[in-house]
Amino acid sequence: MVGYIVRRLLAAIPLVLGVATIVFFVVHLAPGDPASLYIAPGVSPEAVEQVRQNMGLDRPVYERYVRWMGAMLQGDFGVSFSRNQPVRDVIVQILPNTLLLSFSALILAFGAGILIGVVQAVRQNSFTDGALSVGSLFFYSMPSFWLALMLILVFSLYARNVWGWPIWFPASGMVSVDHHAMGAWEQVLDRARHLVLPAVSLALVLAAGVARYTRGSMLEVIRQDYIRTARAKGLPERTVIFKHALRNALIPVVTLLGLYLPVLFSGTVVIETVFAWPGMGKLMVDSIFQRDYPVVMAGALVFAVMVVLGNLMADLLYAAVDPRIRYE
Amino acid sequence: MTAGEALRHRLPAVVLVVALATGACTDPPPTERALRGLPEFCQEVLPRVDAHLADLEQPSGERYGGTAVVGWVGELVDGMNALVSADHGAAQHQAFVNLMTLIQFDESLEPRAYLAREWELSDDQTRLTFHLRDDVRWHDGEPTTAHDVAFTYLRATDPETGFPNAAFWERYVPGEAGVEVLDDYTVRFHLEPHAEPLDPWRALPIMPRHLLGDVPPSELGDHPFGTRCPVGNGPFVFREHRPDASWSFVRNPAFPEALGGPPYLDRYVYRIVPEEATLLTELLTERVDVVPTPSPDQAERIAEADHLDLLALPFRSYLFVGWNQRRPQLADARVRRALTLATNRRQILDAVLQGYGRVANAGVPPFHWAYHPGIEDALPHDPERARALLDEAGWVAPNGDGVRQRADGTPLEITLTYNTGSRPRQDVAEIMQAQLREVGVGVRVEALEWATLVQRVTDPEQRDFDGVVMSWVTEFRVDDRDLFHSTSADRPYGWAGTRSAELDALLDTLPLMVDRDEALPHWHRYQELLVQEQPFTFLFFPQRLVGVNHRIHGVRMDARGEWVSVADWWIPAELRRGR
Repeated sequence: MVGYIVRRLLAAIPLVLGVATIVFFVVHLAPGDPASLYIAPGVSPEAVEQVRQNMGLDRPVYERYVRWMGAMLQGDFGVSFSRNQPVRDVIVQILPNTLLLSFSALILAFGAGILIGVVQAVRQNSFTDGALSVGSLFFYSMPSFWLALMLILVFSLYARNVWGWPIWFPASGMVSVDHHAMGAWEQVLDRARHLVLPAVSLALVLAAGVARYTRGSMLEVIRQDYIRTARAKGLPERTVIFKHALRNALIPVVTLLGLYLPVLFSGTVVIETVFAWPGMGKLMVDSIFQRDYPVVMAGALVFAVMVVLGNLMADLLYAAVDPRIRYE
Repeated sequence: MTAGEALRHRLPAVVLVVALATGACTDPPPTERALRGLPEFCQEVLPRVDAHLADLEQPSGERYGGTAVVGWVGELVDGMNALVSADHGAAQHQAFVNLMTLIQFDESLEPRAYLAREWELSDDQTRLTFHLRDDVRWHDGEPTTAHDVAFTYLRATDPETGFPNAAFWERYVPGEAGVEVLDDYTVRFHLEPHAEPLDPWRALPIMPRHLLGDVPPSELGDHPFGTRCPVGNGPFVFREHRPDASWSFVRNPAFPEALGGPPYLDRYVYRIVPEEATLLTELLTERVDVVPTPSPDQAERIAEADHLDLLALPFRSYLFVGWNQRRPQLADARVRRALTLATNRRQILDAVLQGYGRVANAGVPPFHWAYHPGIEDALPHDPERARALLDEAGWVAPNGDGVRQRADGTPLEITLTYNTGSRPRQDVAEIMQAQLREVGVGVRVEALEWATLVQRVTDPEQRDFDGVVMSWVTEFRVDDRDLFHSTSADRPYGWAGTRSAELDALLDTLPLMVDRDEALPHWHRYQELLVQEQPFTFLFFPQRLVGVNHRIHGVRMDARGEWVSVADWWIPAELRRGR
């Protein structure tokens, strides 16, 4: 098992470096450079040229590539052009925010999706099944930014200003401005309240997909002989469904986990922007527009590593849910 | 179910609570800061600021207290590092929140004392002496002195720093010879006689020499001072910056009484909310108190809300279409005038900005002393005159309609380029496309991503565009040499490629004219020439809109900016947050 993990991780290194190289050249081939941020009234062309020199942009691309790669292999990601601080510090500050958001969404999506899928399979062709199918297809086909704005409209603006609900959710940010003056529990609740809308917007679309997969896979498993045997020997229906059927039905769903990680990270780009959530997705988009090469590069690396790890995790989970699978 | 199973079943919930709780633990209590992870410089400096602040007595009175929150779509790029930043929001926070300039403008845009209590300009206009206040301290307790002023000047004029507005001092004697520290609170500059020599000192805040004196100029841009641990001397002390999320400042209790005394607010918070619709929701649900520059289509919502005011301020920026005169279709000034005559700018202003703005005819803003009201009707919307001018310039419609052609068969077709992500500019391009077609000009519109567009129009080698929709912000000291002087035609901002001897002569002499009365007729002539030459179709000066919650009192905003009165903002006790 350990040997397998190590082999997988070693195999991922050339992949990640390849991704980094491609991203490096793609980003540098795009017209414009970070100094164009400074092109503004009253800013002399000489000043822009000086800024370009201070950023090391006057050197040829291949030279910059070699320098960057060398530094990166030693753990130095350079200094962000637009933020004036080491890229490592930027990522360390921002990455936990994205992880909090995306893992909350992931848990929410798989939790709700699996539950809905099971209910649908158990009550196949009932009204509940139909209604849940329509519901999940509705969310599955919805653009996430629109969903996010609708959630803000309903659960923030209308809930507070029009209907006067006692519980409404803030439309943006991670904490309230008076967060620092709250007690410890209040702080946790404040954070949770801010997390609800972005996590739900991110999760709904994924949950709908998970529900469809779980339903299909459950339907197949439920018809198997061993389920009939389980029922025949008088096990409670709960045990039959959740212990015998679901465990086997989850194997294809686990595959989804690996597939959804990249989707999740690209989803955060939109969701983080709409909800002003200071995370990696928004950081990447801003940095691409600002041609902040070091941040774009480091961000792409982080995403690549996370996707590799996510897939590895999914593979390991196979072994957990299916005793037939053993990695050597 | 065993304990292990029970835990496995509840794992998701446990993970979530732990994540939220660990996140919560990293929040510093209000009186101390989390120094962990900060650069060494900050770890040294911030405790000194806290210690100094703890020694000061907080003012008391019914107006003191509360937190005001401003929300905006963008970061304060480069933060409080005035020597490298070119961002409007950042500049405003430097000048009015965290740092101090030598002088400020009053409501009528005349200089008034600030860090400098008085100043004198020698009779021959070559020596400018500032006498500084002796009661202003940096937030770490060190006094602000003439040495800081000299340091700021030397760094800003050092090309290695890359100070964006180095042109401020092009008529000051450069380097060490240009500045003399007469004593701790008196500093003298040497300069050539020129117009508005005080102007730079309203814009550039003074920076602390005792903290940044040892930093090589080319490394100032990367220094943690800007965004991690700024130390100012203005009315608000830097407290915390969460990248892409917020900046917080607290009251400086030592801010001199003579300058209005300590600000009323306990805390001032700047929040970054990139999505406009979300930002509007936050304003409507009162989680944000002030929103500068909501889009014009949001203005109505703000004006309708009972708890909000909508302010409209004049500003120094204008929207224009730059015509590339290197292109054969656009080389003739008559064609460019015809394009402006065929454009119904009033209608575009109403459609695109719901009327929040003023039609522009040249780059001098209407509130400026040099503004020329006489050119307002020079190029009204008049398609007939436009057609006549095009006929006269040799572009005729083959059958009386359709796209005009020159005798050699070249069609009068142009491309209007704008940047993606700007709805107003896209609307301008599309409306102009329809309006110009009316007079027989074929227009194609083209959207480019911003950095690509900038490269395309500023790189003298590329410049294959016809017309570009952009905006420009003038300084209070208007100087258009970068735009319209013939020596600028092959430089980044010479978009239009203007070459006019008379314009050159005016652009060369106007910056040297010390006396406004004497300069005024020349300024008028300059604006008339721009109308004549039409390097740009000047579209309009948009007003800056601001949504303000009623609970914030004392808000004054004008052409100087949104933050000019932030030290005077106050919130009645019963309306403060957390009640």
